Amino acid sequence: MFRSSAKLLLAALLCVGCATASAADLYVICNSRVPLSAADVRDLFLGEKQFAGAVKLVPVDNSAAQIAFLDRVLKMNAAKYSTTWTKKSFRDGINPPLVAGSDAEALADVRRTPGACSYVTTPTPPDVVVVSRL
Amino acid sequence: MGITKHPRANRGRSWVGALLVAGLGHALVTHAAANDSDRIAVLEQKLDQSLQLIRQLSARVQDLEADKRSGAVAAAPPAAAPQPPAAAAQPGAAAATPPDTAQRLAKVEQTVNQMAASAGQHAEEGLATHGFADVGIGNHNAEFSKYQGADVGELDFFLTPRLGSRTRALFELNFEVGSDGTVGVDLERAQLGYQFADSATVWLGRFHTPYGYYNTAFHHGQQIATSLRRPRFIDFEDHGGIMPAHTVGAWLTGSERVGDQRLTYDVYIGNSQRITQGALDMNNAGNTHGSTIVGGNLGLLLSGTLDGLKVGVDAFQTRIEDEDQSPSYVTQVRSFGTYAAYDTDNWEDIAEFHVFSNQDLTGHTGTHHSDAGFVQIGYRAGRYTPYARYERGAFQQSDHFFAAQTNGSSYYREALGLRFDVDLVSALKLELAETRLTDRVIGSYDEALLQYAIRF
Repeated sequence: MFRSSAKLLLAALLCVGCATASAADLYVICNSRVPLSAADVRDLFLGEKQFAGAVKLVPVDNSAAQIAFLDRVLKMNAAKYSTTWTKKSFRDGINPPLVAGSDAEALADVRRTPGACSYVTTPTPPDVVVVSRL
Repeated sequence: MGITKHPRANRGRSWVGALLVAGLGHALVTHAAANDSDRIAVLEQKLDQSLQLIRQLSARVQDLEADKRSGAVAAAPPAAAPQPPAAAAQPGAAAATPPDTAQRLAKVEQTVNQMAASAGQHAEEGLATHGFADVGIGNHNAEFSKYQGADVGELDFFLTPRLGSRTRALFELNFEVGSDGTVGVDLERAQLGYQFADSATVWLGRFHTPYGYYNTAFHHGQQIATSLRRPRFIDFEDHGGIMPAHTVGAWLTGSERVGDQRLTYDVYIGNSQRITQGALDMNNAGNTHGSTIVGGNLGLLLSGTLDGLKVGVDAFQTRIEDEDQSPSYVTQVRSFGTYAAYDTDNWEDIAEFHVFSNQDLTGHTGTHHSDAGFVQIGYRAGRYTPYARYERGAFQQSDHFFAAQTNGSSYYREALGLRFDVDLVSALKLELAETRLTDRVIGSYDEALLQYAIRF
């Protein structure tokens, strides 16, 4: 009786924990062939890091999770992000990240594009690399 | 020494001032009406419409699935269906069998997938086009002070085609009004490059000479610049700038993280510029005497409590030939500069200082020392960014390099301005400035300028 109650309580706590985590979590994911570290994520999405070894990186913004990503990782709002990329593009001749419209689209882009990295709000399948969980 | 006067300035000052006030006031009032509540209401309305459409489509899908399960004929679309397919509304088409429906759905799905794949492919390989444009009005033209009234500033396109993982290209085409009032077309930048790594990209072609901070950070991008115009001494060559804003040659640039900081560098070599018709020219086709401009720029982007601060030093040396003289007059120009830029959510402060040590190679009058610099402070308070700038150029008129240039006289300029971000891509700027010319001619003039600048 005691053991079953304890298991039930543990399961309930885990469920609550999972629900809380999934509501707040953000997963930065990359194509399986991308050797990228969590410390590189900011540079990647600001155009400062374009290669990981010999792999050309392809950042993909996910508009469904962009506000949370910008707030937590880049510490800026969407307007500042847009202006930063306009300046970067004008000065250095590089293009801003492609934009996916949802987790599913971001995941599909990352799966099919070598060097692609994005961020999603849901746990990801094993065929992509989770660079960091925020 | 003469006295500079602008007789038409006083005549036009009153109506231009009235226009400025009316224009700015009208824009602000109009914008105030479209406040956040209105925009939220519009967004809510759009969201409601979208939800309504989703509900209608869901109902339609359920109906189709129900028809498919029962094998019944879809006699008529539900009343809630927004745009029923024409075939479904017709008796003949209504006799369609479930396999037909499945085939149609499969075809639609395939088409959508193809469109999505095609769009993705275009996004990755297509030609990205961006640009800037600005127009203005004032008691003087912001660039050519002899004019007054309304003016077309420029229309600037820059293209950054996606060519591959390491091959890069950047082209910038600019339509601008020149000193004679006519519109000219200028290939501002034509760069082909190869990126070896994040720390090394080589560009060949015509590029923005990487001295200081302002010239490469903003250049023709008036919408991304806080202030209404460039400092006078680093203006474009054909607008009277006394430094070579463009170079045709080769440029190695890159950055490398050093701990938490980031080190940036530029090294370049190109055709030495010349002076023709009182202005610098970058010798797009090459020069006839084989001399070069050689320079570099070293910067450090700081982090932590100094995040947003970039400091750096730069230098270049070139051999400038004044082709307005016969025989031509040659000066060896050496420039040494230092700069700091602090760019955060609230502050945009920029300071640049350059000293010149120019040697007269023709007249053998020795080496002449001059200097120029500016300090600009801007504070972003929501959509408003008030700014102030002080700039000065102290140019030895015994130095032929400056004496030969139309705008090579010494000056001071003080400016107060206000930038208002109408939205993310457009800005309205008002600037009040006083310019004092201090040697070749003595005089001053006041300016009230309004500019509307966009990016796309």
